[in-house]
Amino acid sequence: MIKILISSIMLFASFIANAQITKAELTATGLTCSMCSKATYKQLTSLPEVEKVETDLNKTTFILHFKNGSVVNPGDLKKKVEAAGFSVGELVLFLNINNQKAENNSSFMQDNITYTFMDTKPGVLKGEVKVKVLDKGFVVEKEYKKLLKMTKQYPGYAKANNNSYHIKTL
Amino acid sequence: MKKLFFLIVVFVSIGASAQELFVFTEPASNMPAKSLGIRDMNAFMFEADGTLNYHNMPELMWGINKKWMVHVQGFISNRQEGGLEVEGGSLYAKYRFLSKDAIQSHFRMAVYGRYSINKADIHQQEIETMGHNTGYETGLIVTQLLHKVAISGSLSYERAFDNKPGYKFPATESNSAVNYTLSVGKLMLPKVYKDYKQTNVNLMLELLGQRLNDNGRSYLDIAPSVQFIFNSQARVDIAYRHQLYSTMKRTAPNGFVLKFEYTFFNVFK
Repeated sequence: MIKILISSIMLFASFIANAQITKAELTATGLTCSMCSKATYKQLTSLPEVEKVETDLNKTTFILHFKNGSVVNPGDLKKKVEAAGFSVGELVLFLNINNQKAENNSSFMQDNITYTFMDTKPGVLKGEVKVKVLDKGFVVEKEYKKLLKMTKQYPGYAKANNNSYHIKTL
Repeated sequence: MKKLFFLIVVFVSIGASAQELFVFTEPASNMPAKSLGIRDMNAFMFEADGTLNYHNMPELMWGINKKWMVHVQGFISNRQEGGLEVEGGSLYAKYRFLSKDAIQSHFRMAVYGRYSINKADIHQQEIETMGHNTGYETGLIVTQLLHKVAISGSLSYERAFDNKPGYKFPATESNSAVNYTLSVGKLMLPKVYKDYKQTNVNLMLELLGQRLNDNGRSYLDIAPSVQFIFNSQARVDIAYRHQLYSTMKRTAPNGFVLKFEYTFFNVFK
């Protein structure tokens, strides 16, 4: 009985990660000029969780620094880029993480959002970890079509929503 | 060889999309959601007798969301005796229904409609709901951005009504037309982006044509322009519009256009 209790506590512990998204690298697609980039920049800086945004105009990449302890939802970032008139081509999250087991189809919760590992080498994550969001609207269309072929292995992938994302460690 | 390679690298590594913000046509892309744009178009056109007429068209633009945007525009000109006079106004809406984005490129399609009122005299066969005729225009826009170059085409139907209260649309003239446009723009400067404060320079070339439905008369204009974008937010266009051919009566097809635009980002919550 105690064994079951302990193992269920351990399971619970591994489910709720002690993680924090500190930074994100977002590459926007569909634009190249500085006017469009500025429109995207202005949209991203309007998010309350964003402390500052650095830009690489030539690669249309935005580095977002989040406020300490703020709630970050990748879907909110995507919405802002789309409001500027463009799309997300890549989103890399920087997680500060404390002993999180990573293996395919295992999940953890962060700010009430479920993150499921996909296409990831098994291991234990510690410290600053870079993960790439793989869901629809966070990768270029070509990549999404490729990933869709893996739905047999990852049944939840095709029906991801605003509270559930699939990530790959980099 | 090295130079060529360098040029290719530069061409591939940077691009632009302000090059699709054309002077005489709208691209299928919309302005950012929740933003407000102000624009003032000034046209100095040569009349057949050598005098210059002036049209001023101030415009307010609003990006409602990623798919919809609306414009409200006023038409002022000095064509009437007694100097500058407000002759009419219009309401314009654009709906972007297709958007395919890739790294530094996009393909977009949109439909639009404009309804205009105008009280000026009807003095030419050309139908122009922007500043001349009461009526509407509705059409389809297709825009492709490829790195530094943007290409956009449109096809529209335009219908003129009476310019109330004083001027009936002549019963003997065609009151509807089909318009077609082809616009190409290219980002020339900067070669490499460093920050938002760099001035962008775009060169553009537009072909603007119309065919009157009832009598088959038509025209085709060419309009080269240079565009400056300051601080990634203010825009100045200098353009010249020139008639290539016309089989219809037009009073002042040739002239210069000076256009100013400023975008206020995130005005609406």
